[in-house]
Parts: sequence; C-alpha cells; structure tokens
Amino acid sequence: MMVYVTLVTSAAILLIAYVMAMSSKELVRLLISLELMFGAVFLALMPLFTIPNLTTQAFSIAVLTIFTSGGELMILIAAMVTFSKKFRSISTDDVVAGGDKI
Amino acid sequence: MDTVSLALIAMCCFAVLTAFAALFTKDTFYSALYMSVTLVTIAGMFALNNVQPVFVLITFIFVGAIGAVTFALAAMYRDPRPKIQIDFVWFIPAIITFGAIFNAIFGFKNVSSVFTGSEVSAFVERYAVFALFFFALAILLMLSVVKFVRREEV
Repeated sequence: MMVYVTLVTSAAILLIAYVMAMSSKELVRLLISLELMFGAVFLALMPLFTIPNLTTQAFSIAVLTIFTSGGELMILIAAMVTFSKKFRSISTDDVVAGGDKI
Repeated sequence: MDTVSLALIAMCCFAVLTAFAALFTKDTFYSALYMSVTLVTIAGMFALNNVQPVFVLITFIFVGAIGAVTFALAAMYRDPRPKIQIDFVWFIPAIITFGAIFNAIFGFKNVSSVFTGSEVSAFVERYAVFALFFFALAILLMLSVVKFVRREEV
C-alpha cells in the first residue's frame, strides 16, 4: 500500500511540474519546474529500497540520479545567466533555437 | 495502520500541496520557496523510511546548493507586478497522462513494503571505481560550465 501511495504522489508531483514547465513564461519558473520533476523521480526511486537484496543497487541509482540531475540543473543555471546577460531578459518568448521561436 | 505509514501519507499530501502552491503562486520567489519545501518533504520521506544517506544528498544538493541559487535567481529577476502564468489548456494533456500513469501504477496497490535502509559501506566497497569515475565526471562538468560562462563573457 505504501509503495502505491508513494508512486501516486510521485506521478502527481511530476504532472504538476509538467504543467508548470509547459506554461512557464520565464526561465526561473522553468528551472523550478525541472527541480520538481527531479523531486518526483527521487520519490519514484523509494520503492526500490523495500527490496532487501537491492538496497545497495538502489542507493547507487539514487546517487547517480541525484548527481546527474544536479549537473543538468547547473548547466541550465549557467545557460540562464548567460542568456540574461546577452538579452537582458529571462522571458521564454526571447528564447530562439534553430531559427524557431519556442 | 502504523504511525510510520500515517506519517508517510501525511507527508505525501503535504508534498503535493506545496507543489500545487509552487505552481499557483504569483511570485517566482515564493514559488522557489514552495519548491524547496516540496523537496525537503520528499527527502524527509526517505529519512522516515530509514534511508538517511539519500535524505542528506537531496537536502545538501537540491535544497542547499541548487535551491539557494534558485532563490537568488528568483529574487534577482523578481517581477514587481506578479501574475499567475499558467495556461490552463495544458491541464488537458496533463490529466490524460496522469490517467495513463495511474493505470500503470495501479498494479502496485497491494504490494507490501518493508523499508530496509541502505548500506553506504557496501556501496563504497562494491562501486568504488564507479564512484571515482563519477566524481571525476562531475568535476569535468563543472569545469566545462565555468569555461562556457567565461567564454560568453568575452
């Protein structure tokens, strides 16, 4: 039952983060939504710790996920700071990739 | 139902509520604050289930380091006229996706769970090379980010 509750909570937080990311008008909100998504992923890892033979592997997956997502967020923050310096704005309307407006 | 299960359900509800608060708040700074509370609650759930190393990692990295930078950015780019920035049309695909995920999760309804905690010492013994390479990779990543920012400044 507890595994079920944890997974449902994880899915709920993930979808709140999706809505936030899709409707965000500025990059700070996009960053916050990404952090929420990673939080949901960490929560989805929790049931792995209920299997006694897999706790060490679960911990290694958790470490891998935490550091990888941390690195990804760090790159986003660096890109955001650079973007802000260049365009004096953090609006997602000003983000241009491959010639198309996002 | 035991106390730990009740506490876990309460923390799950609190995490979802603070995530909603982060979504609906008008001010980006408060949104960052609510996001941090959500992450602390998620980390607290790990601590509640005797997985303290993951609690420490999430709190230090996501609330301590990245959370602090997010606060700083949110405070720096704070909109003096805050407004809710949600396009409610996006709720439709989100609800459909939630239905699909909920359907997939439904199979775990009757799975019994006993949290056994984690063994950090066993992790270090078994995955020493993995941890070493991962640490080196993290340093390389940080160096490349610093180089990228400096190159853009010129």
